[in-house]
Amino acid sequence: MTSTVHRGQKPKLGVAEMRLKNNRLGMTIFQISWIMVFLAMIVVNWQLRFSYAEWPPAGVAPFDPLLPTAATLALLLSSFLVKRGLDALRAQRLGGFLTCWRGAMALGVAFMAIIVYEFASVSDAAMATQYGITMRLMTGFHFLHALAILAIIFRVYRGGAAGRYSGDAHDSWAVEGSAKLWYFVTLAWIMFYVVLYWIR
Amino acid sequence: MATIAVPLGAQAEQQEAETLRRPALTDYLRWSVDHKIIGVQYGVAAFIFFMVGGAMAMLIRLELWTPDLDVMVSGAAYNSLFTIHGTIMIFLFIIPMWAAFGNFVVPLQLGAKDMAFPWLNAFAFWLIPPAAVVVLLGYFVSPAEAGWTSYPPLSTLFSGDGQTLWALGAHLLGISSIMGSINFIVTIFNMRPPEMTIWRMPLLCWAVLATSIIAVMATPFLAGALTLLLLDRVAGTTFFDAAGGGDVLLWQNIFWFYSHPAVYIMVLPGMGVLSEVLSVHSRKPVFGYRMVGLSSMGIAFVGFTVWAHHMFTSLQPELRIPFMITTMIIAVPTGIKMFSWLGTIWGGKIRFTSAMLFALGFLSLFVIGGISGVMLAALPFDIHVHDTYFVVSHFHFVLFGGSVFAVYAALYHWFPKVTGRMMNERLGRIHFLFTYFGFLFTFFPMHVVGMLGMPRRVAVYVEAFQPWNQLISLAAFVLGFSSLIVIYNVIKSYYHGPIAGANPWRALTLEWQTTSPPPTMNFDDDPIPFEDPYGYGTEASAAYLDAVDEAFSGAAPAKGGGH
Repeated sequence: MTSTVHRGQKPKLGVAEMRLKNNRLGMTIFQISWIMVFLAMIVVNWQLRFSYAEWPPAGVAPFDPLLPTAATLALLLSSFLVKRGLDALRAQRLGGFLTCWRGAMALGVAFMAIIVYEFASVSDAAMATQYGITMRLMTGFHFLHALAILAIIFRVYRGGAAGRYSGDAHDSWAVEGSAKLWYFVTLAWIMFYVVLYWIR
Repeated sequence: MATIAVPLGAQAEQQEAETLRRPALTDYLRWSVDHKIIGVQYGVAAFIFFMVGGAMAMLIRLELWTPDLDVMVSGAAYNSLFTIHGTIMIFLFIIPMWAAFGNFVVPLQLGAKDMAFPWLNAFAFWLIPPAAVVVLLGYFVSPAEAGWTSYPPLSTLFSGDGQTLWALGAHLLGISSIMGSINFIVTIFNMRPPEMTIWRMPLLCWAVLATSIIAVMATPFLAGALTLLLLDRVAGTTFFDAAGGGDVLLWQNIFWFYSHPAVYIMVLPGMGVLSEVLSVHSRKPVFGYRMVGLSSMGIAFVGFTVWAHHMFTSLQPELRIPFMITTMIIAVPTGIKMFSWLGTIWGGKIRFTSAMLFALGFLSLFVIGGISGVMLAALPFDIHVHDTYFVVSHFHFVLFGGSVFAVYAALYHWFPKVTGRMMNERLGRIHFLFTYFGFLFTFFPMHVVGMLGMPRRVAVYVEAFQPWNQLISLAAFVLGFSSLIVIYNVIKSYYHGPIAGANPWRALTLEWQTTSPPPTMNFDDDPIPFEDPYGYGTEASAAYLDAVDEAFSGAAPAKGGGH
């Protein structure tokens, strides 16, 4: 045998295992990739601060972080419940999964309601400067992602309620994948939250 | 020498009957999740855009035949002409063209049955036609005039609605590129056969991996920049308008944070192609395999730290030197590749096939483009030739002399695998001569006019430059003509070329260890890669290649070769 092959170094994966492995890696790369758009928005916010002597610009009242903080906590809790739900499904407790995801969706809606309120209540003085414009850019951009992914979560929840997923990881990728998208929304928001409300 | 297990298939009789199991031409017009079909779809679509963009280049050269405005109705019309030329060539030709070869070749080289996400693969391709329609529609509605870089305030205050469509189309193309790249990365990491460690992976796969990493990390910045541009144009925001607290440099930073890495998206796969072609056609192992693989990663990494050299004249002065230094550093991994290629062919048994000629053409032209790149990285020189034809010359040397020559090398090299028939070598050589000398006399004199001070992006120039421009235009028409030769060759060879057999070049990588064209699932049996993808010149490799020949036909390959 001249060709030194090492058959059986790694066992060859079955189709279902391979698909799950591909899905997981693909999702990770997508998350790393798409977080870059949010970073780009942070760069926008950061560079435009240099157009002003102070931030927020003179004559503009800084945003009150109280409600956004509540929204952030709601989103964090929502992400936690999504994770709890996924764990429950893995442990074959369908009821626990559905309860957790109902709570997660309710908190997600609460988060989005607060964000809409914050978006709408930016003062005209703020909107005359990049302080307000970049805030609306970032929250609006994030909102669209949250909306789309919450819709996915809802769809997967309905599939779960119809008994579509067993606890086995191979046939519940939709649950795992949508959960990972929701973590992504959470992480992206925390970055924005810190930049928008705490870095002056 | 013991026998080597190579994939045996039921295809042997197919070869004898000389009937090729090729997909019907109409299959290429339909939705398909087969990576081989998608690869050809990418390739043909990109080549059509290449012809459209090339026709525009011919118009540009016709306009520049005289110092006055004569072909175009106005300076603005000329602006939109070079804008659409650059946009088509970059977003619709060269980036999708590498997706073509990546799609066709990478899964085969990995011994995989398809890409990791076949449906996503098809979807990524089918985003391109609508995006192209949107971009081209913009040209006919009210064209963008701000160049392919679309700097505000040109792109916000002056361009027509075509600029909005341009941004929408570029958005779609960016999304397509991200999806394609995720697919490549997952395929390369997960779908290799157990025997193929990452250090036994063909260098094209290394290059596509590096390219895809750049694309997934950088393209989102393009999406960000385009979102801002669209908002400024349609929603009344002022991100790029200093009067509203915005900053035009914001666009330049974010755009170049994508677009400088993107030039490596455009050339790295070509570098991968070069390592394949030079090694196979000179029958020698790649010189410094590991360093070549790592230098692709090095270019990908350093490529993220150099973007502001595009802004030397607009940047804060204290940032210029750091960016000059990083830009010079990127010549190191590129130099590693250059020396590897020279070391690979040195003392090899060179066969001057058309693929090899184009690869050698790349080698000689890219080194010129690389050196003018280092010259431009030097701040004092850059400021002198900023926005002159020297810059035009530089990026055509790397993008045409580099990427397009590599595309042609890849075409002649893998056409037999795609279609089962060989290209006509005589026509290939004629094509090479016309392309090489057409290219050289088009773009080399641009260095001179650039140094003499002719600015780029103008339709009207000083009369003293006319002789130079006439020489350039003449050579450009020869270059334009040369692409007709390859079209004729492709069509003729598709129907009448000699049957290629499984492995006409006697290459060791896995895409050659199956029939040409490969069956739907690529391999009838799991293929076993040779211990070294470039281990030419050993008895073991000769035995492996003989076993492959025997397995697939028993007949001699169309073109003989050493080992």
